[in-house]
Amino acid sequence: MVAVGQMNEARRARRLRVSSVTTYRVVALVLVFASWEIAGASGLFFRGVIPSTVLIAQAFVRLFGDPAFYTHFAITLFEIVVGFVIGSSIGVIVGLALGINRFTGEVFEPMLHYLASTPKVVFLPILLILFGIGVGSKISLGAMSCFFPMALSVAAGVRTINPMFLRVGQSLNLSLGNRIRKIYIPALTPPIATGLRLGFGIATVGCLMSEIKLSNHGLGYAAMQSYNRFDIPTMLALLLVIFTLAGLGNYLIGRLVRLPGPTNRRVTALPPR
Amino acid sequence: MSDMTALDNTAADTLPTLRIDRVTKSFHTAKGKITAVDDVSLDIRQGEFISIIGPSGCGKSTLMNMVGGLIADFDGQILLDGKAVRGCQPSIGMVFQEESTFPWRTAIENVAFPLEAAGMERDRRVARARELLDLVGLTGFENHYPSELSGGMRQRIAIARTLAFEPKVLLMDEPFAALDEQTRLLLGDKVVQIQQQLRQTTLLITHNISEAVHLSDRVLIMTFRPGRIKRVVEINLPRPRSSEMMGSEKFAKFVAEIWHDLREEASKGLRESEAAAAAR
Repeated sequence: MVAVGQMNEARRARRLRVSSVTTYRVVALVLVFASWEIAGASGLFFRGVIPSTVLIAQAFVRLFGDPAFYTHFAITLFEIVVGFVIGSSIGVIVGLALGINRFTGEVFEPMLHYLASTPKVVFLPILLILFGIGVGSKISLGAMSCFFPMALSVAAGVRTINPMFLRVGQSLNLSLGNRIRKIYIPALTPPIATGLRLGFGIATVGCLMSEIKLSNHGLGYAAMQSYNRFDIPTMLALLLVIFTLAGLGNYLIGRLVRLPGPTNRRVTALPPR
Repeated sequence: MSDMTALDNTAADTLPTLRIDRVTKSFHTAKGKITAVDDVSLDIRQGEFISIIGPSGCGKSTLMNMVGGLIADFDGQILLDGKAVRGCQPSIGMVFQEESTFPWRTAIENVAFPLEAAGMERDRRVARARELLDLVGLTGFENHYPSELSGGMRQRIAIARTLAFEPKVLLMDEPFAALDEQTRLLLGDKVVQIQQQLRQTTLLITHNISEAVHLSDRVLIMTFRPGRIKRVVEINLPRPRSSEMMGSEKFAKFVAEIWHDLREEASKGLRESEAAAAAR
């Protein structure tokens, strides 16, 4: 009887906690909307800087009816995905080379660390000269941005691989290709997953940064155009689209990349429910 | 042509499978040269089970790593079927003391690993891996991941994985050291049964005397640094053997005999490590 009572107690406590979490989330969202509206209506800011949510909603409707929006959207998505794939792939290869060979690691890894902390946008002028004002410079900046976290994460990961796994490969006289495919890569799934999750966000930043700086297409360019026209509701609507795109990408990678092993765990920041 | 093969076959029967011929290995350290293995010679016949026993630091693992090819730089010669061995090769299989099963592979995928790497087609390697899992007594656990199994089961997976390549010589470096005593005895029974069934030439490194007596045809006692062979003890206990023999008088006599020789070496090792600790 006591046990049943305790169980019910625990269940009730959990339900209470879940429902209070949901309540607070709703309250927080309502508060954000309300303060946005109040700030806009207060007259403390220049008129139009904080437009009413109704105006933003109208801008959304206009945006979704505009064929040009879809072109911008497709171009930006293309740049992010291609840049992300190129940068991540090269990152894995370079990370493996740095991690597996102690000498190359000692020579190049410190340099990589210094470069990694440099804002990649400083390379934009060079990339513009090399790849032009079109998608080339955006893809290359995106690729460059997500290359570093992947390479460094993989290189560090190689050193944490259980040496016994490598000795098994060695005692079977496996070729380097087989060792990489069958031992290194599966053993490195967690750092690679981390590299992918970090990388997607950073590749998005890289692509949009270069679109905002200098370009003639893409969501970043469209947002800057709205800004120049002082069409703040459209600009905010575009920013929300970008925000959703980045969030969705991160979510999808979390769903798709799975850690191998018994539970087939997903790579998520939150524990699976 | 057929005469030649016949000749080769008879030669192979009389020749030892593995010949360790005057092998010496020294390491250069900050404190000077340390000879880990000194002039060790040994012939192992086809199907024989040999244990090497010695105190910690006697160079038994070094010897094993040279035979297994993980250490390729040494003096002397190691011959497998008359051919010199230097570096790793699949015909010498190794089982390690440490955990070495791949956590991202199921039991059957672990066992099939060497076959997969060698490019054997899927159906064949899965069938073969299933046979080996049956052999080590893990029928029904094919699709379990190592983390879902006990340490003894994982070590049996590692043994099955090494046997998958049908090595001419099986090397085991204290494969049961991380297991509890009861699991260790039962696993010993399993290994002795498999070894007899396959007539698998086996070289075991251990520091457990009763384990060595239980499993081996011959036990080699090594000296503390530099590692030499002090004595070879023939274990002429009848086969099939099981851990239940451990109560017998003959078994106890072998254990006592080996300990008598080993004791001196072990105390040397102990004194040296205590002296090193005191110097620090």
